Order: sequence, then structure tokens, then C-alpha cells
Amino acid sequence: MNGIAIRTEQLTRRFGALTAVDSVDLRVSAGQFFGFLGPNGAGKSTTIKMLTGLLAPSSGRMELLGLDFQRNPIDVKRQIGVVPEGMGLFERLTGSEYLHFVGRMYGLDGATTEKRAGELLEFMQLADREKTLIADYSHGMQKKLALAAAVIHGPRILFLDEPFEGVDALAAGALKALLGRMTERGVTIFLTSHVLEIVERLCSHVAIIHQGRLVAQGSLEELRAGIPGDEGEKKTLEQIFLSIVGQSGGEQARLEELTWLT
Amino acid sequence: MADVIQMPGVTEQLKLIAGLRWNMLKNNLQRKNNRWDLIGMILAAAGGAVVVVGLCVAFYAGAYFFLTTGRASWMPLLYWAIFLWWQVIPILVAGFGANFEFRNLLRFPLSLRAFYILGLGYGFADFAAVSSLCWIASMLVAAAVGRVQLLPVMMVASLLFVLVNVTLERLIGSWLEKIFAKRRARELLVGLFVLSMVSMNFLNLAMQHWGGRGSRPRILHLVAYFSWLPGSLAGNAVAAASDADTQSLVLTVGGLLVWLGAASGLLWIRYRAQYLGEELSESAAPSAGKRGPRRRSVSLGLPGFLSPPVAGVMRKEFHYLTRNGFSFLALIIPPIMVIFFTMEFAGNNSQIREHGLPPQFFFPAAMAYLILILLSPAYNSFAFEGHGIQSYFMAPVRMRDVLVGKNLFLVSVVAVELVISLGVLVWRIGFPGLPLFLSTITAAAFAVMGQLAIANWSALSFPKKMEIGKMKGQRNSGVAVWTAFGVQILIGGIATIVLLAGRWSGNPWLPVVVFAGLTAAALGGYVASLDPLSVLAERKKELLIETLCR
Repeated sequence: MNGIAIRTEQLTRRFGALTAVDSVDLRVSAGQFFGFLGPNGAGKSTTIKMLTGLLAPSSGRMELLGLDFQRNPIDVKRQIGVVPEGMGLFERLTGSEYLHFVGRMYGLDGATTEKRAGELLEFMQLADREKTLIADYSHGMQKKLALAAAVIHGPRILFLDEPFEGVDALAAGALKALLGRMTERGVTIFLTSHVLEIVERLCSHVAIIHQGRLVAQGSLEELRAGIPGDEGEKKTLEQIFLSIVGQSGGEQARLEELTWLT
Repeated sequence: MADVIQMPGVTEQLKLIAGLRWNMLKNNLQRKNNRWDLIGMILAAAGGAVVVVGLCVAFYAGAYFFLTTGRASWMPLLYWAIFLWWQVIPILVAGFGANFEFRNLLRFPLSLRAFYILGLGYGFADFAAVSSLCWIASMLVAAAVGRVQLLPVMMVASLLFVLVNVTLERLIGSWLEKIFAKRRARELLVGLFVLSMVSMNFLNLAMQHWGGRGSRPRILHLVAYFSWLPGSLAGNAVAAASDADTQSLVLTVGGLLVWLGAASGLLWIRYRAQYLGEELSESAAPSAGKRGPRRRSVSLGLPGFLSPPVAGVMRKEFHYLTRNGFSFLALIIPPIMVIFFTMEFAGNNSQIREHGLPPQFFFPAAMAYLILILLSPAYNSFAFEGHGIQSYFMAPVRMRDVLVGKNLFLVSVVAVELVISLGVLVWRIGFPGLPLFLSTITAAAFAVMGQLAIANWSALSFPKKMEIGKMKGQRNSGVAVWTAFGVQILIGGIATIVLLAGRWSGNPWLPVVVFAGLTAAALGGYVASLDPLSVLAERKKELLIETLCR
């Protein structure tokens, strides 16, 4: 691992009276496959939006690849790829047209864009649909296209918001292999997913955000070590997650109150 | 066993829906942009109310005149006007009656009867229905004042007419909803519909051509063939009552009852199909491995000096234009309208010479019209981006590149349109002389350049999402509309003063020089605006993303 890829200091975002992200200090080393977890409404998407320039922070600092985001947004954006919430696709373009558009927006020349777009469409098993409008793609196909667009310029950091949602098992396997290769080449991958099994299988490091605050951060082993339990028992990420953010016993008590339903 | 003991009645359900809509409106107003939008809508509604009230007077006067001067046989004209309004306006305004919220009610345990009645209830809640009811009420008041003995029959005929109209409108709406559920059908039919609306402009010319002069136009003979339609039946019922013609009265009222029964039966069948879970969504995506429809890839040759992002945006705009039937038609319509104007005023039927207006009037007027039509979308230029708007903010580009790409593409399109339209004008009314020709071109250049910076500001500040191939809710923000209106009036005013100054001074080259200077100043202003607009885009990005990704 060479240096820090993502560093935030006291990163905060408020929406009126609500503090969605509260003084978050993240450290992600270059080349890490990093999982960013949290319950619904914890602040995951808000954090990703800030880290990718889709949302301005209320306060705090963000540094990507050693560059201050607020001061060098264009330079930072050149280095990152994003599959955002909602995927950010132009639905009235075909797959190849969209990849061509994205390539040009990142400053690639026409020939390189054309070559890479073709290869990516082939890899994503979208080559036979290169002339189909994105509006006519299934959700999973759109997801694969969004991922292709996020990597066409060879980013050094890749932000993925629920990248495997709706993607079939076959394609998901190929994508995981691709992402694995990318991290071997030193690309940092910052991933959010509600499917903890995927995060556990892919990620070496994890951070957990809860009610806007970062409540845990480290390698899976470090997090396991911090959870009380039987010696020698290998805890799953789900158990770690629940023990950190779940109010143990609280749900059960509330369940008992629903007497009219249970 | 669910705990539901008693279902709420239809009235209770209507109250619940009214409450839901009120809460949605109230919550929407918490956003500043929506408040501005509301003000725009209120102004538009005030204008609409003036038209409706004005026409109430007209319907009252018409009905009073027909009923008190022995012209009751003309009453079908009034009912026909209402019939057409009631059936056509919902198509134009409400997007073919596809009422998502109404269909959503099927999630709840409604009976088919309640679903049907609620459907009709929705039919009474649109602008066309409310205005039509006002006009019918005006006609009834006229009957009460002018010939009170006709009032009972007129009330019965009007009641049946209202029920037929609302049922028919819902029936047409539900069928169109079914047809329009498919994207391709939707886009094709919307295009054909817009084209047919435009071609209606040629009706007058057709009537002049085939109607004959001095005698009853032949086209009016066709009206007799429509006597079995609701507009004629309701009017003829009143006329029959006026003439004490019981047989005709029974026939016409019976005809309305047949219409009502048939429309109700068909609507019941449609609603029953919906009630039973008719699938209206797009068909599932084709399975993997099967090739999708091939599209011919149209390449857009762009000059090499453009930066990759600007070229990328221009190419994307080109693809969007070719796939947006509505926008595409908007390009065809202006030259068609120029042909229409010249046929109307400068051809064989020229009215312009009769009124002593010089034909050259058309050059600046036609250009003003074109720019009015073609520049309007620029005030909401991100409308069709959808989730794609995020791409602009994720990519390493400044918004100035995006704006320049969009504006360059628009200017190219406007230039092509102007050239075609100028060609049509020269063909139809001759070359107007070099000074006026150049004045027209420089005035057009000023009108375009003068608007772009403000249009960009409007597009960033008051975005409104639109969807290709849909008509329902496809409107710009109220503020954007009023901004465009104000700017175009201002620029039109300046251009008129400059053109008149050339005429009064006797120097035909004066407007050319002034417009060239104004264009240069506008271009300077435009270039200077790009950086501040990039800063504004950063400030407004959350609003843009939230509005367009919704």
C-alpha cells in the first residue's frame, strides 16, 4: 500500500437542522478494497456524494490522492470513477454513445474512447446491445454500463454505490474479478452495499457509519478483535455490523409491543 | 384475518385523496423553487380564469341571443364548442388522461364500483371539465333569463351532455393510457398528434380554397353528418323543445342516453380490466443474447478545434434531438409555419397587400417568430437530462464547457432553421434588398446572443424535469416561462425600435450597423457570463440533481 488515497477531516454535511454526516474522519489507503457500511439513512450516500463532487460539504476537508478536493475539483475528478446512486446515465443514448460521451468528458481522444468502449461493452456482455437505447436496458444492464463508464478513463479511485444490485450472478462474478484485478494494480475501491456477504468477501477494510458518525474503521480482523465473544469463533461481518450499530434487544422489545400484529 | 371491519365510503375516499393532494402541495411549497413556480402557476391560472369567465359571458350572450331571437337551432354550435373543448383539452393539458395517482388507488381494497365512481370523480377535477361546467351553467342562466319555459329540457339535456362528456373523456383517456404505456407508441403518436395540431393552421386556407365565396361554404355541409354526436344532440334537444317538436326531443334525448349507456359500458369494461390488474408497464427487456433493434448510427461531424468535453456535449445533444420526437418536430414546424404565413398573407390570398403592409415585413417578423420558438427550450436546457445530470458534475469539466456545448449546438440548429426559412421567404415573396436582408440576419444574431446568457441562468436556477414522449406535466418552471417571456419582449422591443429607426432616418444600413454592434456586445456579455454561471452551477448542483433525478 502506497500512501493515503482518501482522507477526510471533520467532514460534515447538514440539511437544515439535520446533520446527515457528522465530523467524519476517514482514512483509506491506496489500493484498498474498502467497504463503507451503515444502516439506511446513516449517511453513506451523502458521504459518497461529497467525495465525488455531487454534494458540497458544510464543513471539513476532503483529500483524494493528496489533492484537496475543494481547491482542485477538476484534478481530483480526473482521477476518480463513480457509479452513483441512480447511475447517472443518459437514457436516450445507446450504450456505446454513452461510453463515447463519458470518455470525451474525461478528455480521452476519439480513437482511445472508441477502443475502450468496445472492449468494455464486450466485457460487460453488452456488445450485442451497443445500439440499444439505455432506456430499453434492464436494471442490471444499466448497472453494468454505469460501471463501464466509471472505469473507461482508468481511474485511480473507484466509488461504487451498490454496484451489484440487480446484476446477475454470472456478470457479478466477472465484475468482482475485474475489481479484484484493479486493486492489484493499485486502484482504490470504495464500495457501499447492503449485502454484507459481498463486502466481507471483497473488502479488506471496512468503515461503519451510524447516524452520521463514523463508529468503526479498520481491517476486518481489527473489527473482529474489537467485538466481545467466544475465543476462536470467527465472527461474520453481519455479526460485527449488528453488534456495532444494532441496539441489542431493542428490536425484540419493540416487536413485543406490536401485539395486534404478532 | 385483517382488522378492516368497514371500508370507507366513496365520499370518504374522495376526501382522503383531496387531503393527500393538499398535503403534497403544502409540502412542495417548502422548497423555494417550488414557491416561485407556484407564483408562475398562479399567474397562469389567473390568465386562464379570465378566459373562462370571459367565455362565460360569451356563452351566456350566445345562448340568450339564440333562444330569444328564434334561433334555437343554432344551439348545437355552443354545445359543440364545449364538447370539443372538453374532449381535446385534457389530451393537450393532462397528457391523455394517464392518471398514475388514480391507478395507484388499486393498491387499496376498493370495490370496482368505487373505483369507477372515483375515476369519474377525477374526470370532473380537470380544467376542461370545470370550465365547461361554468359555460354550461352560463347557458342555463341565459335560458332562465330569456326563455324560462325551456329551462327544464335544457337542464336535462345539459345534464346528460355533461355525463356523456365526462364518461367519454375518461374512456378516451384510459384507452390512450393503454396505448401510450409503450414508449415507442407514445413517442410516435405524440409526434403525429403535434403534427396534426400544426396542420390545423392550414384549415383556414383549405376552407378558402374549397369553401367558395359569397355562398354557404361547402365544408359546412359536413356538419349535418355530425348530428348524431353529443354536441348536436344536446343542442338539437333544446331546439326541439323550442319548436315544441316532441318527436325530435325524444329522439335527441334518447340519443344522448344511448351515448351515455354505450360510453359507460365501455368505460366499465376498461376500468374492470384495470381493476383486474391489467399490465400497462413497458414490456420486459429482451433476453440476453437476443439482439435489440438496430439503430443506424448517425455521426455528427464536428470541427477539431472543439475541446473533447464541448464536442462530447454537442454530440450528446444531437443524439437527444434525433430521439426526441417533440423537439425534432419543433424544428420542422417553424419552416412549415413560415410557408403557412406566406400563403396566408403573401400568396394568392394575400391579405397583406389589402391592408397596405409591405411584404418585407415578413423577414424580421418570421425571424422573430423562429427565434421565439427555437430559443424557448434553452431556458430549461437541462430538462431532459434525467439522472445524466450527475455526469456533468462527476466529470472533470467546468459547467462552462457543458453550457458552451449546449449553446453551440442550439446556435447551429437555429442557424440551419434560419437559412431554410430565409430561403422559403425569398422563394415566396422575393428578395427584400440587401439592407433589409442583412438587418434581418444581424437582428437574429443579436436576438440569439442576447438571450443565451439569461437562458443559461434560467436553466441552472429554475430547472424542471421533462420526459421525452410524455405530455403530462411537461412544462417549464413558471419563473423560466416568465423570464423567457420578459427577455423576448425586451429584445423584440429593442429590435423593433432599431428597425423603425432605420426606416425613419431613411438610412436602410443603420439597423445593420446597430444590430452588429449589439450582437458584438451580447457576445461579449455571453463570454463574460460563462465563469459566473459555472460558479452558479456549483451552487445549484444539488437543486439540479434533486430536481432532474426525481
